[in-house]
Amino acid sequence: MTSAHSWTLPLAPRDVTPAVALFVFIPFCKIKCTYCDFNAYANLSRAMMPYADAVAREIEIAGARHASPLPAKTIYFGGGTPSLVPVAHVEKILRACHRAFVVAGNAEITLEANPGTIDADKLRALRALGVNRLCIGVQAFDDAVLRRLNRGHTVADALETYDLARRAGFDNVNLDFIYGLPLQTLDDWRATLERACALAPEHLSLYALKVEGGTGLEHQIKRGKYPAPDDDVAADMNDLAEEMLGAAGYAQYEISNWARRVGARHASPLQSRHNLTYWRTEPYLGFGAGAHSCFGGERYWNVLSPLEYIQRAERGESAVAGSEPISRELEMAETMILGLRLNEGIAFDAFAARYGEDAREKYAAQLREVNALGLVEMSEECVRLTPRGRLLSNEVFWRLLP
Amino acid sequence: MDQSRIRNLCIIAHIDHGKSTLTDRLLEFTGTVAKREMVEQVMDQMDLEREKGITIKAKAVRMLYRAHDGVEYELNLIDTPGHVDFTYEVSRALAACEGAILVVDATQGIEAQTLANLYLALEHNLTIIPVLNKIDLASARPDEVSDEMAKLLNAPNEQIIRASAKEGTGTEQILEAIVTQIPPPAANTALPLRALIFDSKYDAYKGVVAYVRVVDGELPRNQKLKLMSSGLEIDALEVGVFRPKMVAGESLSAGEVGYVATGLKSVRDIQVGDTITHAASAGAPAVEPLPGFRPAKPMVFAGFYPVETNDYPLLRDALDKLKLNDASLTYDPETSAALGFGFRCGFLGLLHLEIVQERLEREYDLNLIATAPSVEYHVLKTSGDLITVDNPAEMPDGAEIAEIEEPWMRIQVFTPKEYIGAVMDLVVARRGAFDKMEYLDEARVMLSYVMPLSELIVDFYDQLKSRTRGYASLDYTFADYRVSDLVRLNILVNEEAVDALSMIVHKDYAYARGAALCKKLKEVIPQQLFPVPIQAAIGGHIIARETIRAIRKDVLAKCYGGDITRKRKLLEKQKAGKKRMKRFGNVEIPQDAFMAVLKLGDEE
Ligand SMILES: Nc1nc2c(ncn2[C@@H]2O[C@H](COP(=O)(O)OP(=O)(O)O)[C@@H](O)[C@H]2O)c(=O)[nH]1
Ligand code: SF4
Repeated sequence: MTSAHSWTLPLAPRDVTPAVALFVFIPFCKIKCTYCDFNAYANLSRAMMPYADAVAREIEIAGARHASPLPAKTIYFGGGTPSLVPVAHVEKILRACHRAFVVAGNAEITLEANPGTIDADKLRALRALGVNRLCIGVQAFDDAVLRRLNRGHTVADALETYDLARRAGFDNVNLDFIYGLPLQTLDDWRATLERACALAPEHLSLYALKVEGGTGLEHQIKRGKYPAPDDDVAADMNDLAEEMLGAAGYAQYEISNWARRVGARHASPLQSRHNLTYWRTEPYLGFGAGAHSCFGGERYWNVLSPLEYIQRAERGESAVAGSEPISRELEMAETMILGLRLNEGIAFDAFAARYGEDAREKYAAQLREVNALGLVEMSEECVRLTPRGRLLSNEVFWRLLP
Repeated sequence: MDQSRIRNLCIIAHIDHGKSTLTDRLLEFTGTVAKREMVEQVMDQMDLEREKGITIKAKAVRMLYRAHDGVEYELNLIDTPGHVDFTYEVSRALAACEGAILVVDATQGIEAQTLANLYLALEHNLTIIPVLNKIDLASARPDEVSDEMAKLLNAPNEQIIRASAKEGTGTEQILEAIVTQIPPPAANTALPLRALIFDSKYDAYKGVVAYVRVVDGELPRNQKLKLMSSGLEIDALEVGVFRPKMVAGESLSAGEVGYVATGLKSVRDIQVGDTITHAASAGAPAVEPLPGFRPAKPMVFAGFYPVETNDYPLLRDALDKLKLNDASLTYDPETSAALGFGFRCGFLGLLHLEIVQERLEREYDLNLIATAPSVEYHVLKTSGDLITVDNPAEMPDGAEIAEIEEPWMRIQVFTPKEYIGAVMDLVVARRGAFDKMEYLDEARVMLSYVMPLSELIVDFYDQLKSRTRGYASLDYTFADYRVSDLVRLNILVNEEAVDALSMIVHKDYAYARGAALCKKLKEVIPQQLFPVPIQAAIGGHIIARETIRAIRKDVLAKCYGGDITRKRKLLEKQKAGKKRMKRFGNVEIPQDAFMAVLKLGDEE
């Protein structure tokens, strides 16, 4: 129970060599969307080259920290808008990954792309470099909505990018959507979902809009330009998505994520392996400005500012801005919280194998309470969120915090 | 010191008219406090007082002043609390003086407390020295306000001293007026000792220190003394004067102001207004106590409960400590089905309540739920028993009640005449009855009413201020107990009565208040995981209802790029927020909800 030293326990059982997930953050965007509070900048393209150099260097140094190179199972280019970056830079970063880590032959290599920022040549080139999964930020099949969000692209752009990606040989494509947007009706959302299903992507991510502090959207809502999002409408939209995507052959495997069913298999191989790393509290290394890593019982993160990040790399300094030790207690709680985001839930025997404790006992009071509230369901083997619990997951999660 | 060279005085003023600033100038001019050690406004010592801009506890200081006649005088300045909650304390301080400086702000003119304090001073036959302050300000209307004061005091215009406490203008003139106009104490050192206690405080080294004005006789140190109202015998461990720090001496004689250290542990034992005399063993005691004593009597009551049940002993200790220095605070343990163990606390008024609550939260780091304030009702039961009820939850069933009496107050509102209608509407909506209206000048009137205290403590002052754009000022005193047609309004949250939310209302207002309260509670109680009905009921009869819809969505977006720390922080914040709420069955009720009744507005 006492844990002064216990956070040095490996995140995964000892006998498994921990293959890590690699994340590369790209802070550049064409324009800034009104709802966005990410560490992303619209007028920084001049820094792309030194940034790519800095990331490549950070990756090599991270790799060299281990006597024998660590195996890597996924690489994820997230942003910002990674598709804005010239192919040569992506190549440089990928090469650094291969030099510093043992990247598995079947590694999942994902890149996020925004419609209107990428053409056929670039897609083909990326595919040739080994990028095998594309995440397209469609957000809505509704030009009025896209304009309101200052997305900088149209529905037609999104359809074109999707089409080009298919032709370039991408056979694992995810489309990102946001719901609960200002003035968006349930019917608008239904139309968007219909068109999304018609395209038959392998994967869909649907995020409920959260109005973040300091964003343009927050300002517009405060000024009364748009009504504040209505949680009841968003809940209806979620219910509609669950129903429609289920009928269209997708299986929800996480609160916001759906993968196309393949045969009768329980878990689709089209789930995002990279993101599963986070939800399963497995180790990951993040590179680039503001990127987070979780490794060796510690979580740490880089400086937010891309320019400072570059300067530090040029001066040969570490980019790490902060860290927190993850105590055993905290790690168990996070394992519960993140694991419950997955539809598979928390398997009691896996939890016990990892921590030597029975989650049913450790969290007996909390589980009893959220079970009574209809937020989770329990079986002999596992506990998982109910459909209602998925929408009210915070009500479950905060109770599990140490 | 020779009695003829003593002057005992106080300064009376409406809040913010410059009493503290003028005190500073007097201390400085007489060299009592050197300019450089003058931490701005010496006499206002408590932080909280400073923040609220008022002086809560009277204090005293002795100044030596060599006047133009070449004689050195001893001036004892007694500071008086500046808020109507403390009228009794003010009256005791005035009883210790022969004169008063009346300060009026030249930009504001006479206000409610100017007048209330002036009348108190006149009742004690004090000589008044009128001072028109803040003449340095461009917005000052010195001639107009001077005329107002002259008329009020029935004195010639020339007698009104024009001053700027900020710049020091007029300070010397005020000091001269003090020595020439205020009479020396007419005291007799040969009579048996009688000393008036006008304040007290607890000192960690000296125990309870009584602030006294010796009226008759001699008060030497190391003597056995007796408190005439309680009969308690005490030792004068130390006697002395304020310069402004306590400086010990051999004795205090008739006419002088100073202190007696008693070694007692609680200010409760030394009541303001009581008379000190010799113990029988130490000389001839006085026969008659000084007039005007009244035990401190709380008027406003509220339940204080710790949010964390475990903090109950901490709350009790904190109240014990505050009580050491606050004779008018009362508290008795009480239990609420909804809130658990807590205390029913009694206060002189709302301000007093707020100060105590803030000190508990700030100085003792307690997380409290305070129930809405209540008054003390006199209830005659059909059984013939007469009981007092200061907690609405304890009001007996309607069927058991023959009659309820509630305290009524006499109130005075000063307002520019264009707001007469607005004030009238407000007071009438609060069951007030008009008494009279007097014109102070062309533009301003004084409106007098009587109204129930229970209506006065529910957001009345804020409403008054907002309806008169901040121009009105208010003063009030207790009038009497009157029979009223009152009922207990019960509030049910999720079908269960929450005793701490019940309130006593007049029957005619019950429907409107019940509906407004349900509506307000719907706003302040966050959505729960299930629908929560909120009902108002009289007896078993539901008179109003609202429903808080169930929350359906409370979900975080993706943990972007593994930034789990940030998401966890959000959850931690959510958890901390829940901890500050009180749970009733499955419903979480935030602290504000218990004060919701104070914020109903007056839409009716
Ligand atoms: N301009 C000006 N301001 C003053 C004067 N006397 C007091 N004040 C200001 O008026 C405010 C209230 O004064 P204070 O002495 O605290 O009033 P109290 O509430 O009566 O003790 C403070 O901001 C003072 O600085 C004065 O003669 N001239
Ligand atoms: S493209 Fe993405 S990262 Fe860039 S501004 Fe828009 S939402 Fe933010």
